[in-house]
Amino acid sequence: MAYLEMIDIVKRYPGVLANDHVELAVERGEIHAVMGENGAGKSTLMSILYGLQCPDEGYIRLAGSTLFLRSPLDAIAHGIGMVHQSFKLFESLTVWENVVFGREPRRGPFVDAAAARSQVAALAKLHGLPIDPDARVRDLPVGVRQRLEILKALHRDVRVLILDEPTAVLTPGEVATLFEVMRSLAASGCTILLVTHKLNEVMTVTDRITVLRDGRVTERRVTADTNPTDIVRAMTGRNVQLRAARQARTPGPVRLELHDLVVGGPSRRAVDGASFSVRSGEIVGIAGVAGNGQSELVEAIMGLRSAATGRVVINGRDVTRDSIAQRRESGVSYIAEDRVRTASAAQASASHNLVMGFQRRPPLAAGAILRLNEMRRWARALIDQFGIKIASEATRVGTLSGGNLQKVVVARELAHDAGVLIAEQPTRGVDVGAIEFLHAQLLAERARGHAILLVSAELSEILALSDRILVMYEGRIVAELAGTEADEVTLGLYMTGDMSGAA
Amino acid sequence: MNLRRQAATLLPIVTAVLVGFAVCGVIAALVGLSPWVMFTELIKGAVEGPQLFETVARAVPLVGMTLAAGIPLRAGIVNLGADGQLVLGACAAAIVALYLPAPDAVRLVAALAVGAIIGGGYAALAAAGEIVAKVPLLLSTWLLTYPAKGLCGYLVRSPLRDPVTAWPSSKRIAVGARLGHLIPGTPVNQGLLLIAVAAVLIVFIDRRTSVGYELRMRGLNERFARYGGVALSRQTAWLMFASGALAGLVGAIMVVGSQYRFTDGALTAPQYSWSGTLAALLAGGEPIAGIVAAVLFAALQTGGFAMERSVEIPRVLTMVLESVIILFLSMRGAIWRRAS
Repeated sequence: MAYLEMIDIVKRYPGVLANDHVELAVERGEIHAVMGENGAGKSTLMSILYGLQCPDEGYIRLAGSTLFLRSPLDAIAHGIGMVHQSFKLFESLTVWENVVFGREPRRGPFVDAAAARSQVAALAKLHGLPIDPDARVRDLPVGVRQRLEILKALHRDVRVLILDEPTAVLTPGEVATLFEVMRSLAASGCTILLVTHKLNEVMTVTDRITVLRDGRVTERRVTADTNPTDIVRAMTGRNVQLRAARQARTPGPVRLELHDLVVGGPSRRAVDGASFSVRSGEIVGIAGVAGNGQSELVEAIMGLRSAATGRVVINGRDVTRDSIAQRRESGVSYIAEDRVRTASAAQASASHNLVMGFQRRPPLAAGAILRLNEMRRWARALIDQFGIKIASEATRVGTLSGGNLQKVVVARELAHDAGVLIAEQPTRGVDVGAIEFLHAQLLAERARGHAILLVSAELSEILALSDRILVMYEGRIVAELAGTEADEVTLGLYMTGDMSGAA
Repeated sequence: MNLRRQAATLLPIVTAVLVGFAVCGVIAALVGLSPWVMFTELIKGAVEGPQLFETVARAVPLVGMTLAAGIPLRAGIVNLGADGQLVLGACAAAIVALYLPAPDAVRLVAALAVGAIIGGGYAALAAAGEIVAKVPLLLSTWLLTYPAKGLCGYLVRSPLRDPVTAWPSSKRIAVGARLGHLIPGTPVNQGLLLIAVAAVLIVFIDRRTSVGYELRMRGLNERFARYGGVALSRQTAWLMFASGALAGLVGAIMVVGSQYRFTDGALTAPQYSWSGTLAALLAGGEPIAGIVAAVLFAALQTGGFAMERSVEIPRVLTMVLESVIILFLSMRGAIWRRAS
């Protein structure tokens, strides 16, 4: 009998069977990958294991005894911990305060700070997680924050650790460190569940793999006996082109220019003097660890945020002082990073989401009057063209999976047929099949002679698509490389501010 | 499918009304009143014979104020200053109707137009405050109510005061510059037509125009609207102007249609703007549902008055009824959605 077993788990949501008699068995000290596309049921399965959801059928056994988890507190009490994709930390507190929170060593009514600090230091040393217990969380880089999250779990005597997409925000160097930590934890008897869709990571660090598709387990393998192609087939049920084919192209005239763009005040410049241009028929990738000014840069180009100094020129027109509508009019469209908060209205229908930006001109409007039939036809056409899986154009988009919602956003923005396309994290949280599709769309835009600025934290995406790559670090563009001469290692160095590669 | 969806939206409303009646019945029974008498008197008081026209007459300003509150609410903006816009519009209308040197008919039309423009302009002032200086509309609209009421109160106490009245009032408007009765012998005046036209226009703009689309999208996700290129500041200004203009028009209609003079406090005492805001909130800014709610409130209010007069059951019970209905309907977010 395995150490941790999830047996015959069934979870139904209205209209969806999220987990359909799922079995998961993990040995003690094993690193086990849980893979699957978005909506395959891996998040549901993990939230059941962490006590966030109750299964409709089935149960969990840990070390031979059956668990009934009603909340994450129950899960933690049984030694099951989880590190979420978005960290749950107190930014203004120190490392040790975050670690001991809720389980503080006490002296009378007070927190015994000295004991707590030494506990945290000892724990960090024991597991080889170098960290300064007195550092404030807000000053820590993302990789260290994650280490802190792991420490928090270990401090609660966690024996099963769930890591949900842990590498999404890390540099390649930080990823390597994380993998070392995972291996040493596993060696000391901790069981690790790694939820991810990144194949190379799974191949590198895990012992065994469970693949889910449509709520069912489609593959259960020892990592060493399998290969990426098989895993992708198990995830998608078909063969997927992992790397989009790119044709060489000579770029045309300049479509987007930035001249010494500065965003933010003199004390903290989010973007510190960015100058570059993007030509017609060219994809320029901006690589960088999240939070190094990429979002601010893009928002300043679009007018969602104002630039302190510098100029933005779109199709030859200086738009620095223009409204968002005027900029869009000048020929730019924008796939925003946050598709739920920014690029869509969850409670509006697909049709209303797809119409945004087209509501004031023919064919969707005659004067101020909307042509409702045209709107429906328009929405249906885009839904067909982009293969959006949705009941009808009148369905609210809040019900869609990440990949399908992203297709709605991309469909609308590409329909603008603008000369410049800004694609910010276009495939974040999207499943493998949708990534393939979206990449093909971006390349088709390039072939159509559009200028594309691609911002992505996924180096593989940047490398697969970009003609030129700019690296952003602390608000500055620290490197420019041709797509052909860049690789993950070089980019990774630049992304961490290491300039030695510049030689 | 469509039928089922309609049933799904109607179910909570029916339930809320029934629960409201049940709660009031229990309260009435507890204090020794007959629930049966209460309900029959209430309903009779709202719709029986001439009372029906009382309800209609009350519904006209209430629907107007509901629409005034609903216009910005559709985009997620709350106008708490409808009272001020109403009073200012009414006062301006009274001045025009009394003193504009023109034929009666011209004075009437001008009074209505000026009432709307002044009310709209005053609301737009609050919008300007937010756009230019980022003063939250919730604050500015509310606070601007007081200077408006104060100014109008001063005007009818001093320069415009009709010395023959006991209460601070303007002079009476000439018969020719008044709105006529729509149905002779009832309090229903031609203002009904104006509000009906406004309602139809608003529903049409809401459903069928790009302006309506943009404000609905803003109501659902303001960031999305901004990202899509909707000019939010300009939209705020126009929404507030439209909202204030409607409030001002309601004020003007009350002055030239039923009271025939501007009396200090007389327009805000029935709390039309408050009931209107509640009805609009209940409908989430959606105009047709707002109108239905407003008419229901008007019926409850006239019924309550009649009940109090005829059987001395306190009108407060109808306010309890109103409150229970509102509370139950606002629960839909949690309960009804889960059920459906």
